[in-house]
Parts: sequence; C-alpha cells; structure tokens
Amino acid sequence: MNRLGRIGTYLKTVASTVLGRTPAGRGLTVFPDDIFLVSYFRSGSTWSRFLLGNLIQQDEPVTFNNMERLVPVIYNLPDRLLRTLPRILKSHECFDPRYPRVVYIARDPRDVAVSFYFYNLKVRVIPDGYPMDEFVDRFVAADVVSYADRVGSWQDHVLSWVRLREGHPGFRLVRYEDLLADPGKELTNLAGVLKIEPTPARIERAVRLSSASHMQSLEKEQSKQWVATRDSRQDIPFVREATSGGWRNKLSTSAIRTIEQAWGTTMKDLGYHLVMDVDADRKVVKR
Amino acid sequence: MRPDQDRVQRLFGALAQAGRVLTGRQIAGRGVTVFPDDIFLVSYPRSGNTWTRFLLGNLIYHDEPVTFSNIESRIPEIYFNRDRFLRQLPRPRMLKSHESFQPHYPRVIYIVRDPRDVAVSFYHHHVKARNIPDTYPLSSFVPRFIAGEFDDKFGSWRDNVMSWTALRGDHPDFVMLRYEEMKIDTAAALRRIVAFLERCSYRNIDSSPAVLQRAIALSSPERMRALEKQEAGSWVLTKQTRSDKPFVRSAASGGWKSQLAPESVAAIECAWGHLMQRLGYELVSGRNAARAGAASDRRERS
Repeated sequence: MNRLGRIGTYLKTVASTVLGRTPAGRGLTVFPDDIFLVSYFRSGSTWSRFLLGNLIQQDEPVTFNNMERLVPVIYNLPDRLLRTLPRILKSHECFDPRYPRVVYIARDPRDVAVSFYFYNLKVRVIPDGYPMDEFVDRFVAADVVSYADRVGSWQDHVLSWVRLREGHPGFRLVRYEDLLADPGKELTNLAGVLKIEPTPARIERAVRLSSASHMQSLEKEQSKQWVATRDSRQDIPFVREATSGGWRNKLSTSAIRTIEQAWGTTMKDLGYHLVMDVDADRKVVKR
Repeated sequence: MRPDQDRVQRLFGALAQAGRVLTGRQIAGRGVTVFPDDIFLVSYPRSGNTWTRFLLGNLIYHDEPVTFSNIESRIPEIYFNRDRFLRQLPRPRMLKSHESFQPHYPRVIYIVRDPRDVAVSFYHHHVKARNIPDTYPLSSFVPRFIAGEFDDKFGSWRDNVMSWTALRGDHPDFVMLRYEEMKIDTAAALRRIVAFLERCSYRNIDSSPAVLQRAIALSSPERMRALEKQEAGSWVLTKQTRSDKPFVRSAASGGWKSQLAPESVAAIECAWGHLMQRLGYELVSGRNAARAGAASDRRERS
C-alpha cells in the first residue's frame, strides 16, 4: 500500500474507533443463545439470510434495506449496535469455537469459483476479461483478496466447521444444492435449531419471499442503498443465477481439474461428484 | 456485573481503544499482520509454550541468554505486543499464539499437553491472575475448564487441539510436539523442531549437541524460576498478576495424579477421552469413561 493509502486507512480507523463505528467482525461479543449463519463466500448466505429472516420474522418481509437490521452481518455494524438486534448473525468466519449454534451452508466449490469470479469483477478486485483459469488458481490457493484469504481456502473453511462440530446438536450442515432443490424441506429441518414451529404456511411464505426472482427485483430497486453493493459496479448483479451446476459451461477442463485435484476428497465427502479422474494424477493435496 | 457497570466498563474500553488507534499502538492479537515466512508457536494456554520460547530463543540466538526481558523481542507473543512493533522485527519472525485453527498462519509448531495437567496448571494460573480466589475449589474449576469458559476465544482444550490436528495434522507446514515427550528427551524434541525449521527454510540453526545442551540448560525450570523472581514485575504476562504465585510452576508432567480428584479426572476423560487416547494419553477412569469419551466427541459441550 502506498503512503497516501496508509494515511487514509489510518484516518478511517481512527475516525471509526472514536465514533464507535468499528465493525464487530471477529471481535464480536457472543451470547449463549446466538445463532450464526456461516458459509464461505458466494455459497448462498444472502439467500439464506432472506429465508431465515422471513421464516422468523412474520410482520416484515426481508429486503436489502432492512436485512442489516433483521439478519445482520458481523462485518458491517459495531458490536454495540449488534447487541440490540435480533441475534441471527451472518458470518464468513472459519471455525470460531465461541459460536454456540451454527447453520453452515456448503456449496459445490466449482460453482463457488464461478460465482466468486463474477463477484470480484463486480467489486473491482479483478478487471473485465481477467482469465478464469488464473482466477481459479488463486481461488484454490486462497490468494484472491485479503478479506477472503484470511478465512482460509474453501476446503479449510468447510472442514474447519465440519470436523470440529459435526454431530453436535448446535450444528447443522446444509448443502446449497439441497436448499435449491427443496427449500421447504431444508427449512423444516432447521426449525429445531431455530426454535420455531415449521407450519406449512410459514415455510411457504419464507420460500416465496426469498425467491431468486423476488430478490433480483429487490436488488434492482435497492442495490444503490445496500451496504454490500452500493459501491460496486451496477452493471453486474449481486444475485446471479441462483442455480447449481453452472460451472459445467463456465470452467475449462484444466480449471475443473485444479479444483478437483486440490479438494476432491472433501468434495466427495460432501456428495459432489467429480468429473476428472483425479486419483490417477493426484500428487500432494494442495492447501 | 450490573448493567450500568458493564456500560461504564465498555465505554472505558472504547476510549482506551481509541487512544491506542490514535497513537498507532493497537495490540496485535488475532488481527496480527501475518507474513508468508512467519513461524507460529501455538498451543493451548499452560502447555509449555513459554518454556519452548526459551528453548528456541536460546537455540537460535547466541548473543545473550533468553530472559523474560528480552523474550518479547525474540519470540514475541501476539497478545501483549503491538502489531507495529511486531511488523518491525527482523524476518523471518517466530510468534507465539494461543489461537485455535487460523488458516492464514503459514507454518505452525504446535505443543500439546495432557489436559489433566493443563487443568491443574490453568487453575493456578487463574488464581495468580485473580480470576478466581485462593479458596476456589479445583473440583469446581474443572467443569468450567471443560466447557472452555476461561479465555473462550481460544476454545476449549479439545477445540484448540482438534482444530489444528484435524485441519493441519498431516500437512508439511505443521509439526506437533507433546509436552511430555519434550520433558523426557528435550534434545530429541529440539532436533525435530530444527528439522522442521530447516524444511521451511527458516534461518540456519546450529543443532550440535553442545548448542542443544546450552539451550536446554539456559531454559531449565530452576533458571526460569530465578529469572521470574527478578523480572516478574516487568514482564507483560506477569506484571499485573499476584506476585506471591509463580508463573513457572512445577514444570513437570503427571502432577494431576496427586492434585485432581477422581471425579475431576473422570470428567475430563469423559469429555475428551477419545482425543486424549489418540494423542497417546492413557485414561485411568476405566472403560466407561473411555466409552463416554468416544461418544462425547460427537456431543455438544454444555
């Protein structure tokens, strides 16, 4: 970072500290009945915020404008304000031993790669025309951008939660693909950990108010206001395809091989079918 | 704590933090700047980390022996030092941390210790730090220790150990040592660490028998106790704690056998028996505890 950038960061940090606006992030105060919605990036966590928010909140449908109040993310508001909000918090952290209840969303890393590529175009981390293959190499090496690299690679992230918390009653692993296939069923399964009564009407309402088309039209109206999108390129949407398997026409054979070689075992454990014969040419499992 | 007391304390905390930010004096902690050539010396608290810092400091630096006064500029810890200070240290750095799994730590030396001994040592540590009174029963401390109530950011002993072994156990950039083995054959343990450091192209270290013996002698419990007597008042880790209680305690393994009540031993083995056995710690509470331990690995801590 250049000198001017450093001074700018310094002044911003000082101002936000003095004004008490430093986002909570990893310094968040955790309460015993908190619920965390955790995932790696681009794995359906915003959709899940809509789903869970609409499931729990009965009087006010979730929009991009009220989401930071109804299902807040830990990276935006200061700890002091988060204390006063509903405690279903969205987080991208790798294993944090303090989180008492966790709904973890996992998504096929090949789809995550594609989605993360377009997201980084949108937030100007990479320029238009950046080679997808090169991006995939960086994605696998957790060498994309500092805020993301900090929480580890896709595999570190998933395994850190699954290996440490699988089988605990306060932990639920949900695959994005299963959520897409039958959101009602997955939400019903989460009712216990969320401590709500999963009546069909309630589930139906939550799914309807969180549909991709509904979110896309809300994004059109509100993306200039929402903190996560207001400074990003408006020509690329935040809510993208909201489907699974898109990687088949977006990733090259070599990019698919890179991902499957690095994380094949974990992918298979999660039920994602590999298309390359990676066992034949696997050497050392990369991080 | 009463709510208004809590608020006043938070306000003071915020003001102090603002002051540190203004003057560029933020403590590194979890937000420490990590360089790709860093080595992290990680363990749960009270697992021999300070001893290892002395050993490695005395092995790597030959100019003057390690003391509590100079350790923080050689193998500093991240919780009391400023990030700016740590950034300016010569590279490659070696840093001490108690964090559970951190994906961005590039290379890690992890020390694990029998949790029954950790429980006893941690208890005395919290008496020293005035977190619990002298009269607090060890048998009441143990369940809270199992629940990971103290220093909860590090996780429980189980979360801390398991997060590193499950995520990095078979990784070339990770090496794990048992405190107990270090006690039995310190030279062999140091040679393992030196081999690891060579593999990750850390600086060259002379590990001839004479140098190893010097490092071991300069890091003996007797010498560390003598140094603590002189320096405890100025060392960041001890200066605000009770001076009638030592930081360097028994420096032995197996002390739990005489200090822990059978119920406490059973509680620890019941909670973590499976993991303890995998690490080579023999269970004494019998079959039932071991079986419960295996089951408990899959159960939520309550």
